[in-house]
Amino acid sequence: MRKVTILPILLLTAVLVLSACAPGAPPQQTSGEQAAAPAAQEPVTIEWWTVNSEEYSEQVQRDMVKVFEASHPNIKVNITVLPESGFSEKMTTALGAGQGAPDVAFFWDNNWFPEALDLTPFIEADPDFDPSMYIPGFWNTRAVWQDKIVGLPLGVGAQFVMYNKDVFDAAGVAYPTADWTTEDFIDLASQLVDPSQKRWGGDRPRRPFRAIWFNYGARPYSDDSTTVDGYLNGPESVAAYTWLWDLVASDSTPTPADIEVLGTEGTGPVDLFMAGRLAMATLNQGHMLNAVKEGANFGVVPEPGVPGKERYVNAWSLTSSIWKGTEHPEEAWTFLSWWVGPEGQQYLMENGNLFPSIPSVLEKYKDADKEYAQAFFDILQLKQVSEWRVKHPCDGTVARAASDVWDKIMLKQIDRDQIQAELDAVVPAAQEALDECRERLGG
Amino acid sequence: MLASWRAMSPRERREALAGYISISPWLFGFLLFTLGPVLASIYFSLTQWTITRPPEWIGLGNYLRMFTRDPLFWQALKVTTYFVLLSLPLKLVIGLALSLLLNLRVPGMNIYRTIFYIPAVISGVAVSLMWMWLLQPDTGVINTLLELVGIQGPGWFWDPQWALPSVALMSVWSVGGSAVIYLAGLQNIPPHLYEAAQIDGASHWRRFWNITIPLLTPTLFFQLIVEMIESFKVFTQAFVITKGGPLKATYFYLYYFYEEAFQNFNMGYASALALVLMIIIMAATLLLNYTSKHWVYYESERERGS
Repeated sequence: MRKVTILPILLLTAVLVLSACAPGAPPQQTSGEQAAAPAAQEPVTIEWWTVNSEEYSEQVQRDMVKVFEASHPNIKVNITVLPESGFSEKMTTALGAGQGAPDVAFFWDNNWFPEALDLTPFIEADPDFDPSMYIPGFWNTRAVWQDKIVGLPLGVGAQFVMYNKDVFDAAGVAYPTADWTTEDFIDLASQLVDPSQKRWGGDRPRRPFRAIWFNYGARPYSDDSTTVDGYLNGPESVAAYTWLWDLVASDSTPTPADIEVLGTEGTGPVDLFMAGRLAMATLNQGHMLNAVKEGANFGVVPEPGVPGKERYVNAWSLTSSIWKGTEHPEEAWTFLSWWVGPEGQQYLMENGNLFPSIPSVLEKYKDADKEYAQAFFDILQLKQVSEWRVKHPCDGTVARAASDVWDKIMLKQIDRDQIQAELDAVVPAAQEALDECRERLGG
Repeated sequence: MLASWRAMSPRERREALAGYISISPWLFGFLLFTLGPVLASIYFSLTQWTITRPPEWIGLGNYLRMFTRDPLFWQALKVTTYFVLLSLPLKLVIGLALSLLLNLRVPGMNIYRTIFYIPAVISGVAVSLMWMWLLQPDTGVINTLLELVGIQGPGWFWDPQWALPSVALMSVWSVGGSAVIYLAGLQNIPPHLYEAAQIDGASHWRRFWNITIPLLTPTLFFQLIVEMIESFKVFTQAFVITKGGPLKATYFYLYYFYEEAFQNFNMGYASALALVLMIIIMAATLLLNYTSKHWVYYESERERGS
C-alpha cells in the first residue's frame, strides 16, 4: 500500500513536468504558405516578423512572400505577422535575450540598432543594389547609424494638413496654400469654427518639438546634447508655445477630451475630419488614401510654417533590418534587398497602400498625376524633423520633463505672458533628465 | 529540520516525501518564473541596462538617483498612495454593502448576482474605454444626466482636480468580484446567532455590528490585503485614458515604471522601481497583518479560548 501511494504520485508528477517542458506544436502552416519547390538542395528557411497595417495587410504580405519564393526557390520565408501594438515588446524581449529574434524584421526603434547587422559589406558586394535609389532624406535618417548601414527604409509616411474643400467653399474662405503660416492656421480655424454645426476649424498639435516647433526654429536642447537652458526656454521655443496658447485661446479647436473620445486613438482625428466636424486636420498618408477611397473632397498642404524660416515635415520610413545573430545572413540579405528594393515596394504599392521610398517606383503610383499625390510628393521633399531626432534620442525624455507647460496651456491654466516663466521653471528638471538620458545611452 | 526528519518514522518520511513530490511542479514553477526573475531583477537594479547593451554595474546608483534626483518618482509615489487611500475604503464599503444586498432572499437573486459580477470579468482596456466615453465632459452620459438636474459636471479625466477621483470611481465599478467573496463569508455565519439576537430584541444595526462584522473580519482582512495590492498596481487607466496626465495627476507608479522600462529602455532603473514597490507593498502587508490580531476574529481561536 505504501509503495502504491508513492508510485502513482511520482508518475503523475513526471507527466506534469514533462508536459510543461515539452516543446510547443510546430507552427501552423496556413493555406497561403506553400512549400518551396523541390530543389537539389534543401531550401534555407529565414524568419521574418512583420505587422499588419493599413499600408500592407497580412494577406498582401503573405502573397508577396509567394512571389519572392517563386523567384528564389532556395529560400523559404517563414512569415510571422504580429499586432502592431505588441511588436515592440516582442522584439525588445527577443533582442535583449539574444535568441529567438527573427532574421529579418522592422527595427523601428533606435535602441535596437546595436542588434542590427551592418549591411555595408552586402551592399558593396551586391552589384545590383544601389543605395542612391532611395529618397536621400529617408536613407540618411533610417538606414545610416553611427557610420554603419543598419537597415533599408521601407515606404514613406508623413504628417500634413488635410482640409475639407466643401467646408471652405460653403464658408467662402480661400484654401490654404503650401507656403501658409502658423498665423494663417489660427486665422482660418477661427473663420471656419461653427458651434451650431458642432464643427471645429482645425485641430491642435499632439506634442511639442515636431514640425511646427521646428518651423519656429525651436529645439528642446543643444545640438551637442548638453544644454537645455536657452533652448527649451529660448525665444524660438517660447514663440512656438505662444502660438499654441493663441490657438487654444481661439476656441476653434477640439479639446483633448474631444479628440481622445471622439477621434481615432493615436493616429489623428481622422473620424472627425471625415465626418465634416474638423475643417482642417493634421493627418497622414494612410488617412489620405482612406479619404480618396471615400470620395472626400479635400486638399493637402504641409504643416504651417513661419516666415523667413525653413519648413519641416514630420516624415518617416520604417527601417527594415537583419538581426546580427542571424544564421543565414546571405539569404536574409537576398530577401531584405528584394522586399525593400524596387520589386517588393512596387508589389506593396500596387497591391497595398504603400508609398515607396524609391522615387523611380513612386512615380509609377496610379494617381501620381492627381493633386493630392503631387502635394504629398512635394511634402516629402521638405527637411525632416527626424534628421535631428535620430541624432538626439533624448528629446522625448526632455519633453516629458516639460509636459506640465503643455498641459497648462491645453487646460488654459496660464496666461500668455507666463509662458516664459513656466518654461524657465522646468529647465532644471529637463536638464536632469537630459543628463541622465545621455549617461544611460553612453554619452 | 534535519532533527525532525530523523525523528520521523519511515512511514511518516514516505508520506512527507510524497507531499513534496506532489507540490514539486508548483515549486519548480515558482523558482523558475517567480523567485528567479525577482532575483534577476534585484541584480539588474544594481546595473545600467538598456537591453541591447550588456548590463553595466553601477551599484546603488539607481537608488541614489531615485531618492535624491528624480522628482517623477516622488510624484508617482504620491499619486499612487493617494489613489490607494481613496479607492480602498470605497471598494471595501461598497463591496460589503453590495454583498449584504445580494444576500437577501428575493426572487431572481441569482440573476442579480450574475449581473453584478459581470463587470469583474470584462477586460480592463474595454472598461477604460467605456468610462472614457461615459465621463467625457461635453458629450458623456454622466455630465448630460447631471445637466438635466442643473449640475455642471466636472472635467473628470481631463481636469487635474478630478482625474484621480475619476479613476477611483472607475475602480468601484468592478466590486462585484469582491461582493461575491463577502457573500461566501456572510453565508458561513450561523443563522442561529441572528435568531438568538432577534429574540433578545437586537435591532438590525446591532445585529450587523455585533454579529456580521466580527464574524466577517477574516474575509474583510483578506479583501483588504488583496485590494490594497491591486490598488498599488493600478496601470491600465493611465495607459489607456490619461497617459499620466493631466499635469501628472494620474501619473501612477506602474505607469512610470512602464515608461522607463519600455519607452526609455532603462531596464536597470525600472528594476529598481519594481523592487522599491515590492518592498512598499510587503511593508504595508506586514503592517496590516500585525494589526489584524486586534480586530480580526477567527472562529477557531474563539473556540480554543472558550
